[in-house]
Amino acid sequence: MSEPAELYDAILTGNAKKAEEITKAALEAKADPSQLVQKYMIPAMDEVGRRFECNEYFVPELLIAARAMKTAMELITPHLAAAGTEPTGRVIIGTVQGDLHDIGKNLVASMLEGGGFQVVDLGVDVPAEKFVEAIKEEKKGAILGLSALLTTTMTMMKNVISALEQAGVRQKAKVMVGGAPITQQYADEIGADGYSDNASGAVAVARKLIASID
Amino acid sequence: MSLPGLTIIGESINDSVPSTKKLFDAGDIDGLLKLAQSQDEAGAGYLDVNVGPRPPEFMAEMVRKIQGVTAKPLSIDTPDYEIAKAGLTAYDPARAGGKRPVLNSISALRAKMFELFKLQPFMPILLVSENVVDGKSQPCRTAEETHRAAQELVKTFKDQCPGTTNADYIIDPGIAPLGSDSEGNIHRLLAAMELIHKDPAFAGCHASVGLSNFTVMLPSKRADGSPVKGPLESAFLAKAMPLGLDMVIGSVKRKYEKLPADHPAMVCIEDCLKLKGFDVLMRVREFYA
Repeated sequence: MSEPAELYDAILTGNAKKAEEITKAALEAKADPSQLVQKYMIPAMDEVGRRFECNEYFVPELLIAARAMKTAMELITPHLAAAGTEPTGRVIIGTVQGDLHDIGKNLVASMLEGGGFQVVDLGVDVPAEKFVEAIKEEKKGAILGLSALLTTTMTMMKNVISALEQAGVRQKAKVMVGGAPITQQYADEIGADGYSDNASGAVAVARKLIASID
Repeated sequence: MSLPGLTIIGESINDSVPSTKKLFDAGDIDGLLKLAQSQDEAGAGYLDVNVGPRPPEFMAEMVRKIQGVTAKPLSIDTPDYEIAKAGLTAYDPARAGGKRPVLNSISALRAKMFELFKLQPFMPILLVSENVVDGKSQPCRTAEETHRAAQELVKTFKDQCPGTTNADYIIDPGIAPLGSDSEGNIHRLLAAMELIHKDPAFAGCHASVGLSNFTVMLPSKRADGSPVKGPLESAFLAKAMPLGLDMVIGSVKRKYEKLPADHPAMVCIEDCLKLKGFDVLMRVREFYA
């Protein structure tokens, strides 16, 4: 039988079937679900991110690893919930209004899930009000991830931030932005809290932001 | 380098290309004009011009200056109405042998762009990977939805731009990166192209995709050092050109070629078309890893 430590390799190599087998066996053997996540799974996805950053891994490897992580997480989540263990943090994510592009947004969502975040994906063409409602429903502060591919829709990001301010919930949301036309300078100009130009970097940004939420 | 029957819209003058963005940000107009000349000399049929979120006047200035160094027609590339208007107004067909510019691109949500046809007749790239259902735009998930979106957008074009024929527009059925295609986009795309190609209502139209998007986010080389992108894009062309693809927005530096059926890239694409979901990604990884 596979040892829990092999879960690290299964995720790193994107072997979803193996990850599922190991996780099932470990849970049946009463392994601590929180330990499985913290000791093997998140470090594996961190290594995936590192390899992606230095061009050893590319998008297919990243997605395949994220799927293996997700397969294992689906088995573990009920156990974590039963034990009262909370996820790293919650992220509301979506592509802004007028924009139907979802590849970048989906990549970031996958990597954030791999990084231990609970992700609520609002989809594409999301109006500012819908982002505001989602933040209002959050019990505690959450990260709001906004994606845009078009120069004509990136301006909606500013509208979302304004809508959060008008609704009095800006302090509940740490806003991170990304997409082909977005730059750090633009993120700063519109008052976003974080920016990344790739999916792996988005996880590091999200971790910093979640740590700063009261 | 192009294939017979394939017109390349040279993609290099685009704000989203990092090396070009540096030229834009530095105000290096000479550098941008050199890009225009080099693409012209390398065989581009059109030159795409995308200035990003810069002012409409800047697009107009770029169009005039680029037309000063090349006789190739231009492709005005922006989703912004005012930038498109400025680029089209500045464009001088006489400098391009009387050829109309391309307008890249018009989706159902941006149909207002057709109003600009009166100012400067253009050849639109009709983006039909999106459709409008109950007044709301959404991505086409099936070949049939894509075909229907094409029918509707062509009708809008012909209604709003009287006197135009099928030869006056370019259908773009929307290509997605193969490296993240776990949702069967390549299947939808080729099936949609087949539906459109076989539909007599579209006879004589042009079809194009943004070909570099197909291999974006993949490594440049396979484990044996041979290239990844050119062969995969060529393999895609081998499938798509018989279905009416006659233009691409792409790189004039890329080696597009006719590959033998047993070339690893051809086999990879054929395999991907038989696979679904993440198995497609695994097969792509197997190709380069």
